[in-house]
Formats: sequence, structure tokens, C-alpha cells
Amino acid sequence: MIFKKILINSTEAIYENKLRSALTMLGMIIGVMAVILLVSVGTGAKRYITSEFESMGTNIILVQPGKTDKKNSMGPPVSSSKGKLTMGDVEALQKNATSLSAVSGVMFGAGVVKNDTATNNINILGCNDQFNRIFNMTIVEGNFFSKEDEESGRRVVVLGYTIRQNLFGANNALGQLVKVNDSEHRVIGVIKPTGDKLGFNVDDMVFIPTRSALRLFNTTNLFGIRATAKSRNSLDDAVADVASILKERHNNEEDFTTITQVTMMESMNTILNMLTYALAAIAFISMLVGGIGIMNIMLVSVTERTREIGIRRAVGARRSDILRQFMIEAIVISVAGGTLGILISLVITNALFLFLPGFDMRPPFWILPPAFLMSLFTGVVFGVWPARKAAHIQTIDALRYE
Amino acid sequence: MALIELKNIHKHFRMGDEDIHALNDVSVVINQGDFTSIVGTSGSGKSTLMNIIGLLDLPGEGQYFLDGINTTEMSDDELSEYRNQKIGFVFQSFNLLPKSSALKNVEMPMQYASSYNKKLTDELIRKMALETLDKVGLSPRVHHLPNELSGGQRQRVAIARALVNNPKILLADEPTGALDSKTSEEILNLFAELNKQGVTVIIVTHDNKVANRCRRILRMTDGKIAEESRS
Repeated sequence: MIFKKILINSTEAIYENKLRSALTMLGMIIGVMAVILLVSVGTGAKRYITSEFESMGTNIILVQPGKTDKKNSMGPPVSSSKGKLTMGDVEALQKNATSLSAVSGVMFGAGVVKNDTATNNINILGCNDQFNRIFNMTIVEGNFFSKEDEESGRRVVVLGYTIRQNLFGANNALGQLVKVNDSEHRVIGVIKPTGDKLGFNVDDMVFIPTRSALRLFNTTNLFGIRATAKSRNSLDDAVADVASILKERHNNEEDFTTITQVTMMESMNTILNMLTYALAAIAFISMLVGGIGIMNIMLVSVTERTREIGIRRAVGARRSDILRQFMIEAIVISVAGGTLGILISLVITNALFLFLPGFDMRPPFWILPPAFLMSLFTGVVFGVWPARKAAHIQTIDALRYE
Repeated sequence: MALIELKNIHKHFRMGDEDIHALNDVSVVINQGDFTSIVGTSGSGKSTLMNIIGLLDLPGEGQYFLDGINTTEMSDDELSEYRNQKIGFVFQSFNLLPKSSALKNVEMPMQYASSYNKKLTDELIRKMALETLDKVGLSPRVHHLPNELSGGQRQRVAIARALVNNPKILLADEPTGALDSKTSEEILNLFAELNKQGVTVIIVTHDNKVANRCRRILRMTDGKIAEESRS
């Protein structure tokens, strides 16, 4: 019998057992939906984190003191480093590294900022006048440090938005004095609130010039250097530039580590890909369950239709005809279920996106063909055994089967 | 001309610990155009013989020539093709597909035949099925499901299904077993009519009245053809 006729017959048989077919399909629908939705969650999370990461600034290069041989790590532990980065290194980079558009030394420490109204335990970040350009920070009140502020190590401070609110509330903050670790600083600017970005919250920090910070923490060693390349394409050149300039200054010893956003993204992506794979594995299991459901129902169907098989064989159906009939039934069920699953998950994710635009879990297009093919494949794999069983039923026994 | 030629057919079954010799050295020739009945009590081997003639079962020993070809050496696919093309079955319990209309039931053998005969288009299959149903007097009920038909009508559908591929042999296993006497008579008349048109008819029955409607009677006892008579 030709394929088209078997397909019509199979569809009729499926239609004749509406409820059972629908329930079997449901297994497949859920399986395919799980595949698509979980992969969507994985890629959606990745997309979210990537965009957060990129909003922190692009083309960023981090230089940390000390050296580890491992690639793609976040650098050596800060306190253990034997190499040292100083203000001299920063100046050398500012002068000689032409591929960089901004360079700042950073000093980082915990501290207290207070005025008459409030006391805040916060993170103090020492940096220079170029720092706001490296990390895409916008000033909402006043200004960021000037070159003079930095060079003369003036006692000026730029406040994160939350700190500003805590200390001054509705009052004017600019020009006021606050105590940063008991040393008076004048407020010259406030940074636009950005919220938490990957555990790094600018709103809860205060910024002072690097030299003031070194004085405050009584050290000459920087926490690290932050720089930004002129363009993404020149990032590799910029890293090489930074390395060669610093190496020359450090007696030809590479006692520092450079990390770029690319390498950070790579290690982040490794983690996020693992997440996606883990979710895909869970989805695969639900697909498997759907497939077993199909096999189960097909076996029931074969037993129930033993007599039909006998009749068909008696009037001339070959084993291959019977095999094909049951295979196609299984495939029609699984593919119909798969297609419905794809449609339903598209509807759900798009509806979600419509109401919560910040929460984009729409499936990436590339998952749709594999999801469809997987439903087809599941139908084939789990349809084979029942169909083979059907094809090998003995005709005379089947004709007598009650 | 010999249409069916059985040579020294043996068939054994195992039933639990018991070995049943269902057919014991059966040799018989049935000619083209014969109207034959195989009679016997339950367990006489008549059903086994019918299954072997109908290529539903293979003999343990011996040879079976159908239309001059040795069927004992055929593959399963070849046997299926022979059942499709040369044999039409009619069963006591009708064996219609319960969820398919009379028309669909009759079309089914032709759908399998379309693998061998590419001329059988859907339109031709439909036309031939309707013609055959008309031939058995069921034109008005072609779209009915089997459970919407009477026993006699169901058996007519089954006969139409058996005839639709123009088989050489019509093989009927207790065709009147589930029918009342008036309907039985009609069905037997239909067989006689078909035989007149040239179809070789073989009826397997335990009922002597049915057997006596046939020209040739083969009486089976203990797996052998014990007696042959003509009426």
C-alpha cells in the first residue's frame, strides 16, 4: 500500500481513538514544551547577564598585580600577589599606551562615610578622572573629579546615589563636607543610580581620587589598574600594549595579570552554557517520558487491534505494510504533539514578553527545528518496537483473537 | 485443470504435553471452477486444512501447488501477495473492521493490491468496491458501519471484500455459522451464483445441510480425508 494511503488510514485510526490519542500527544506536547522553555530560560538568562555585563562598559581591561598561568580565570587572589602596581605604572600607561582611551589606577577598601545626619559603612573606591568613562558612569549632580583633583590628591568625594540619599535626603549635597574614614571630604558629584549589576553596586559606593585613597589607606600599592581600549577590535593590541609597557617597567618580569571583558565573558559563558545544557538534559528526560508514553499506548493499541492485524494480513497485507501502518501512527502522534508543543511554547513566551518586556524568555529560533526533529525521532524510536510486534503477530492466531 | 494440488500434507501441533497430528498425509486436487465443501467434526483437521489452502499457515511436511506454483517455498511477502491476488476469505464471524464503513472494508484488499497493480488508483478502487457491493446486493448500505448492518448484510460485505480482487478461490469457513436459516440460504445461493460465474468455491463446515449444497464433499476424520462424495 502506498505511503499516502497508510498516512490517511493512520490519521483515521488516531481520530477514531480521540481521547487516547490526545492523551498520548499530551506527553509529547509537554516534552517538546519542556525542551523549548528550558532552553529559552537558559538562553534568556545568558542574554540578560551578557547585556548587564556589557552595560558596565565595553572593551574594559583589568590589570591585577601578581600572575597566574591559568587562562580565563578572574586573576590571582589580590592579597597573595607579590607583584606591585603603582601610580607610576598608571602614568606610564597614560603616556605611552596609544591604544587605550582611558586608564585609571584603583584603590579599594571598606570604610565609613558620615555627616551629622547619618553614618554609612561602605566601599570606598579610589580612582582618577578617567574612571567614569571606563565604566560608563553618568553624573547626575555636580561633576566627576578633574585632572587637578586627582593630581593634587584633593579631599573631594563623588557619592553613589543611595549614600547621597542617606546622608542628605532632600537637601543639597554639592559642596557639603562628609567624613570619609574621619578625613573631611567635599562632595563634588553624585552618580546616577544604576542598581545592582552582577553584585557590584555603584549606588552604595563613594569615589575619591586615587592619591587621596592611597593616603587614606596609607599605602603606595594600587589594588589594580582599569583601562579601556579605543575599540573592541583593538582590544587585543591594547592588552599587548599594556603588557609590554608594564613589563618594561617591572624589570622584564610579568608580575601582573591582564583580564579583558572578553576573557571574563568567556568564563561567564562557560558557566551559562553549562546551565543551558543542564536544563536541556532535564528537558531531554521529559521528552523520553513522552516517548515511553507513546510506546506504551502503541503497545496497547497493537494488542487491542490484533484481530484487525489478522484481517489485514489475511487479505494480503505484508509484514512491512503492518509495520509501516503502526510506525506512521506513532510518528503522526509524536509529530502532531511536537508541533503543538512548539506552538504552545511560542504563545506562552510571547505572551509573557508582552506583559513583562524586561523578562525576555522568547525561544531562540535555532531550538525550533531540533525540537521538531526530536519529536519525529522520538516517534520513530518508540514506535519501532510496537510496530515490529504488530508485524510479527501470527495471522491465524490474530484472526481468532477476541 | 488443477487449481489446488496438495501432496502428502502433514501438520503437527503441540498443545501442552500432547502432540496433535492435525493433518495426516492429506493429498487432494481441487480443480478450477469446483464447488467443494470440506466437512468434519470439531478437531477433524478441516480448519487446519483450510488455513493451509488459504496460505494462512504452512504445512509441516508435503507440498502445496497453487495455480501450478509450489507455495511451500514462498517467502512471507510472496504468500501475502498470493492471499491478496488469488484467495478471498469469508469467515464465520465476518471479521470486518468494526470502525470502517462497508465501502472501506471492501476497498481494503485493493489498497494492498495497489502495491502490485499500479493501475489501481483511488478512483478505480472506489468504483470497483461499489460495483462489488452492488453485486452482493448492498448498494444502499455502503456507508454503514458493520454494527449498523444485519448478520446477513455483514456476511455480504465480507463476501464483497473477498471477491473484490477477482480471486481464483473463495474460501469460506463456516460462512453460515452465525446466521439464521433463511439468511444462510441466501448466502449459500450467492455462493452458488458466484460459482456459476467461474469462481472456485470451497466451504468448510460441520453442517451437512450446507455441505450438501456443494457438488463435491470431502469428509475429514482424524486429520485424513476419509470419504469423498458428489451430490
